[in-house]
Amino acid sequence: MVMKQQNKQSRYRRVGTTSVAIKPGKSDHVFNLVVDLFLIVLLVIIAVPLWSTITLSFRPNDYIGNNLQGMFLAPWEWSFSAYKALLGNQGFLLAFKNSFLILTGGVVTALLLTIPLAYVLSIPTLPGRKYLSLLVVIPYVFNVGMIPTYLLVTNIGLIDHLAAIFLPGAISTYNCLIMRSFFEGLPSELKESARIDGASEIQVLVRIILPLSKAIIMTIGLFYGVSFWNDFFHAMLYLNSNHLQPLPILLRNILMASGMNEYVEVSAFGDAPIAAIKAASVFMSAIPMIIAYPFIQKYFTKGTLLGSVKG
Amino acid sequence: MKRNCTRSSMLVTVVLLLSLSLFAQGAKEATGPTTIELWYGAAITEAGPPPSDWVGFGIIKEKLGIELKLTALPSNESDQDVKIQAAAAANNLPDLFMVRRDVLGRLVPQGLIAPVDDLYAKMPVRTAAHYDDVSKGHARIGGKSYGLADPGSIMKNEGLLIRKDWLDNLGLTIPKTTDELLVMMRAFTFNDPDKNGRNDTWGYGAFQEINNFEAWPGRRLEPLFGAFGVDGTWSLEEANAGLNVMKPEFYDAMVFLKQVADEGIIDPNWLSYKKDDFRAAWKQGRFGIMREQNAAFGAQSNYAPFDKNFPEGNWVIIDPPKGPKGKASIGPYTANFRIYAISAKAAKEGKTDKIVALMEWMASDEGYYLLGWGVEGVNYTKDANGIPVAANLPNANLAFSAPGGQTVTQLRNMVFYNGDIELYARYPKYVTETSKKEMSALAVLREMQTKDWTAQIGSDTLPIPNADLKRFYEQGLSEFITGKRVLTPANWTKWLDEFKRLGGQDWNDKGVAFARENNLLT
Repeated sequence: MVMKQQNKQSRYRRVGTTSVAIKPGKSDHVFNLVVDLFLIVLLVIIAVPLWSTITLSFRPNDYIGNNLQGMFLAPWEWSFSAYKALLGNQGFLLAFKNSFLILTGGVVTALLLTIPLAYVLSIPTLPGRKYLSLLVVIPYVFNVGMIPTYLLVTNIGLIDHLAAIFLPGAISTYNCLIMRSFFEGLPSELKESARIDGASEIQVLVRIILPLSKAIIMTIGLFYGVSFWNDFFHAMLYLNSNHLQPLPILLRNILMASGMNEYVEVSAFGDAPIAAIKAASVFMSAIPMIIAYPFIQKYFTKGTLLGSVKG
Repeated sequence: MKRNCTRSSMLVTVVLLLSLSLFAQGAKEATGPTTIELWYGAAITEAGPPPSDWVGFGIIKEKLGIELKLTALPSNESDQDVKIQAAAAANNLPDLFMVRRDVLGRLVPQGLIAPVDDLYAKMPVRTAAHYDDVSKGHARIGGKSYGLADPGSIMKNEGLLIRKDWLDNLGLTIPKTTDELLVMMRAFTFNDPDKNGRNDTWGYGAFQEINNFEAWPGRRLEPLFGAFGVDGTWSLEEANAGLNVMKPEFYDAMVFLKQVADEGIIDPNWLSYKKDDFRAAWKQGRFGIMREQNAAFGAQSNYAPFDKNFPEGNWVIIDPPKGPKGKASIGPYTANFRIYAISAKAAKEGKTDKIVALMEWMASDEGYYLLGWGVEGVNYTKDANGIPVAANLPNANLAFSAPGGQTVTQLRNMVFYNGDIELYARYPKYVTETSKKEMSALAVLREMQTKDWTAQIGSDTLPIPNADLKRFYEQGLSEFITGKRVLTPANWTKWLDEFKRLGGQDWNDKGVAFARENNLLT
């Protein structure tokens, strides 16, 4: 028991071949306390708005308390009317489908374009590698701006196509450079032995590099996925047909609804309170990312850190 | 290496082509009828667009030879501006589109908009109902009218309301002057007007609702500033034209507001409330006097929570309080318009006549009822007075006022002009659920319109300050009220001088010149 307590409270210092317990000092306790407090504050900062949004989305129509009281509303007093209204709304389901198409199409296209580019840039013997890298970095530093991009999208006939949302941004320089660093960190012997065995560069990429790069692919895929899923601006700019509108546009429209319709007595979502609809739509639009993240999390830290230290 | 590069290029090309074909779901060009692309402002932003099988598409195609292609503009005005200006930069504006006036003012000099002066005569029915000299002048730039300015929201649709039941509980009468208002606000704050034994009420309730003609502290406090003759951003009186903040009376109004704030007789959350918070607060009985919009107060679903919470509660509409010099006003009012412009590209392609035919058809009985309320017998029926009502329908969910019926009336802002039929349909009489009172948002509106207002037609079109100046203005005034700056004549003068130096004087001069040039001064 005493030993157990000592293990809990002590750190160890190595002396020769043995470890000697070091009793934590006062400064350690203070440091730990400060860290704990900081993390608790951070948790509160993150959790309170999230919890507030969730409870608001379940708030019944006849609720009359203030927002603080609403956060402690008992679950048996919750109303699902906002979720029922959203899921029963064709526009919401269509927008969800469009967002899903953009997400999948975007992530697949972006990865298919980013991986080869990053791989090519990672080959040290590539002729003109320096200049090619410069060409990739220049648009990152000097963004061309909205109007030239709009003109380009218009001229290549992408206006009113879902592809307009992800194709212009299919290669992110930032993601490409992270991936390049990762590829550069892989042992060159693996590639060389494959080449000696007669593999082409594409075969090296597909058969040797990619199976070793699951972590970075998942991480960069997540980066792309989040940006395409949340992309409001390009959808607003490039999509005209109403049936192509993705979730962020609908979400924006819902959030802009004043809560008081000057013309008729109800909102487009029936009797559910508009504040609950707003909160529910925010929460539902975040669900795919909330679901996806735990599956990708194990790759995430690994993927972002792996390329950072070489040698 | 070269062979591999070629393969990589081919791979990338194939992926691109596949992506394009997979996601190419855009509209196809129609042949036969003239395609008119219309970017409209949705009546209910969160509801979807008219469905693809909407009966209106068929009628418009059959009777007018028009293939109508609809795009709902973003719900937020600044997003609308971005979308329109990006399309303008690519010379890709739609044929007909809703646009704000200041954006219109930027598009016209670029030659992207067609003038509409000649079109009014070609649309006699619509012109008679929708357009007058004021509306024609609203979209006039350089002597020509470049937009069809349809009536927007109803004028003078707000009022000053007071809790009559609280007054009765305290034995007070309706305040007529700012001094009496102060007495009443103190009593509402400190004398437990709702008799619940708790110190949980305030005299006045508000939130910061600011726009370009109702600068800080904004619309909800205009009745207090109106008592000093400085309601609204501008004064459009010929003899006194200019920014109100530069008038000596504005300082007096600030002193009055400061007193209200210092005494704690205004709901202290007024600086942080959003619209929804403010509206939840009066329904929870937090304050006893406010400026509110007729439907936000009196429409059935909006009044219901208050009715449930306070069955004995009773708001009455009062005259704005008179200030030291006998002035009183609920606030400034202007004429609101929704401008629809025709692109020069559409005019060049010979689409103007079709657009005129479309707009005129919308003003016909057929177009008016179809776009306004949907299909008779499906989305509405008419009552004995011929007013569309959401009653006796086979499927109540398809009623024009129900979620299922709202998509088919998304274009109603293009046909409504605040006529009697619309108002009766919009604001029907009803009996409240709990207190069984007979209510009508229309009766509320009519009463609100009888009160004193300050006419400032066109003040919403006056120049706006740059962002830095606007911030200086709003921050400075709020700091005087919150006590961060001490409100003394010397400090006020110093702040005003700084305001003028930073561009306030220039803003004032440009505004007055614009108002004079456009005959807005009275």
